[in-house]
Amino acid sequence: MYDQNMKILVVDDFSTMRRIIKNILKEIGYTNVDEADDGSTALEKLKSAKFDFVVTDWNMPNMPGIELLKAIRQDPELKETPVLMVTAEAAKENVVTAVAAGVNNYIVKPFTAAALKERIDLILEKLKATPQ
Amino acid sequence: MSFPSDEMDDIINDFIAEASEGLESLDQKFIELEKNPGDTGLLNDIFRSIHTIKGAAGFLGFQQMVEVTHVTEDVLNKLRKGEMSVDAGVMDAILESVDLIKVILNNIRERNGRNEDTSGIILSLSGILSASQADQAGEADKPEQAAATAEARTLEVEAKATGPVDEAKAAECEPVAEAETPKASTAAEKVVELPRPEAKPQAEAKQQKEEGGAKEQSIRVDIERLDAVLNLAGELVLSRNRLMRLGSKLSETAVDGDLVSHMNEGIAQLDLVTTDLQLAVMKMRMQPIAKVFNKFPRMVRDLARQNSKEVELVISGEETELDKTVIEELGDPLVHLIRNALDHGMETPEERVAAGKPRCGTVSLSAYQEGRNIIVSVAEDGRGMSPAHIKKSAVEKGLLTEDEAAKLSNKDALNLIFIPGFSTAKKVSNISGRGVGMDVVKTNITRINGSIDIDSEVGKGTRITFSLPLTLAIIQALTVDAGGEVYGIPLSTVIENIRVTDSDIKTVDGKEVIQIRDRVYPVVRLGELVSGNVSSHKSEWRYIVLIGIGEKRFGILVDRLHGQEEIVMKSMGEYLKGTEGIAGACITGDGNVILILDLAGLLQAVQRSYAF
Repeated sequence: MYDQNMKILVVDDFSTMRRIIKNILKEIGYTNVDEADDGSTALEKLKSAKFDFVVTDWNMPNMPGIELLKAIRQDPELKETPVLMVTAEAAKENVVTAVAAGVNNYIVKPFTAAALKERIDLILEKLKATPQ
Repeated sequence: MSFPSDEMDDIINDFIAEASEGLESLDQKFIELEKNPGDTGLLNDIFRSIHTIKGAAGFLGFQQMVEVTHVTEDVLNKLRKGEMSVDAGVMDAILESVDLIKVILNNIRERNGRNEDTSGIILSLSGILSASQADQAGEADKPEQAAATAEARTLEVEAKATGPVDEAKAAECEPVAEAETPKASTAAEKVVELPRPEAKPQAEAKQQKEEGGAKEQSIRVDIERLDAVLNLAGELVLSRNRLMRLGSKLSETAVDGDLVSHMNEGIAQLDLVTTDLQLAVMKMRMQPIAKVFNKFPRMVRDLARQNSKEVELVISGEETELDKTVIEELGDPLVHLIRNALDHGMETPEERVAAGKPRCGTVSLSAYQEGRNIIVSVAEDGRGMSPAHIKKSAVEKGLLTEDEAAKLSNKDALNLIFIPGFSTAKKVSNISGRGVGMDVVKTNITRINGSIDIDSEVGKGTRITFSLPLTLAIIQALTVDAGGEVYGIPLSTVIENIRVTDSDIKTVDGKEVIQIRDRVYPVVRLGELVSGNVSSHKSEWRYIVLIGIGEKRFGILVDRLHGQEEIVMKSMGEYLKGTEGIAGACITGDGNVILILDLAGLLQAVQRSYAF
């Protein structure tokens, strides 16, 4: 089992959506959650405080999820932060782009609490396996 | 989802509010899109709104919403990628589906459990999609992406191997009762085994969180809570008024001058803070008028298409802020005016060209602040209204006699359109011309203490202007004494006060009037009209308060003028509601209850007896 206290940043421009994801995270035991309403605010938050995990939406104004992901991977301080991308449909080209940009995994809306837990565990497991 | 049910209700309410906001702003964007069909930024915006609503609706289990948004999104996706182009047919279908999404959202809001027939719109959008599909050939992966594709597949496989995965089952996202793989169940056990985090790290985390600064720029507050604050601020105003009154009385009589002056300092401070508080609370209730204006581009587009007219809508000052209640009351009157403008005011393109005007007509909707008022106007460059024509029509309908009509000024003739039952349209269309428009507009505007002005020139067009108060909660009133009772008159309607004697009031045709400078005005004896008390006033001097509502003027005869006071009006309650001429009551600084006059109501009574 992983640290239930790890700090997660939920990024989505639709506040209802952030609330839903926060609730699902709470359901699977993660309560240390902060939120941001688009990529650029997320990046600011990531730079000002330490986060252990990022769950971001794909389609957002100003700075979409994919740009956020690229920015994270380019930042020497942040580049190790695991990122889970939330997409609305498993459009192949999206997934391909995201993987090329270094996403840790993706999940398709709407998802269940179990599915989200599955993905988070998978990411953390994989990270543990690969020494950094 | 298995959230606690009140949490779920909260989330649903959030969703409704957020989704309606998104949908409202869409109409405007669609109109812009029709003008600039190639605007990818705009298309992306529109796509995102629908996409986001679909995403959240999926989580919340609003299946109908998901179905409609899904197919709409598909079409929008093709549009934004340039795989299809925007034409009127596609636009109509998308607009129709957005309307349906609004209906479904409303069903959710009302919890009426209604199911809409979505098949028609889904069919027509799918038709549009498959028509464009024909041009689409399967696209191969670009070489440089091949490696990434491979990894993507592995990710997918990994995810599938490890347990319940969503994808295809997405739509039936019910509580987590899917088949458990051994791995998932061990994971679940681990959750149970895990020692609960101790208090300390939790506290630390909390602190960290606060430092990290989850600073939301705005929060949603239930309007009832806001109204409660507004109400309390109102009560505070009353108490302040009372304290100020007592303070000044005390200064006149008290022996301990020092103590009194200290107290008055305190009261002055309270006065300052109360005024600021009042302003702050008022601001909380203010919303940009764009909230109403936003629905018009779509309406003008639809009406123009239905009527085969060419019209451009120009909106300005949509950022002007008004009290929420005023904004809500403003919607219907504006709808009437815009419909009238499109139906009666605007000529067909052929007529316009024949008259030497540009083919495309202009309707402008504007708002700006002027002192304590907000001015909202609807203007068009259509055919304009002819006073002679209006008079003739009014006489034919028996609304006034030919003699009366002949005496009316052009301005007064234009005002005839506000009389109930008046409609000049030769044929009744499905848009307007049922004769129920303008009088309702007038009633609605007067109800929110606003006034209407109308301006029209044949061949040039018509402009209708509303002057509206910034807020309804607190009003400035003139307090007067009549027949032994004190009344409050909303200051916004008072034009001037004139000291008169009984002999200044003349009788014409058995009706009392007063001549002020070169004009004659009807006179209402307030004491008799409202309370039935004949004045017991001994002094020879009385006062005429000259009232102006729109173009109408009349005088109210009162015994004494008290002064000006800021009042918070309370409704009269069920028992006395609807008393003609009385809008409500309030408590004044000296602790008395006074009645506030409803001048629109009084005006109607005056118009009935004076027939002006």
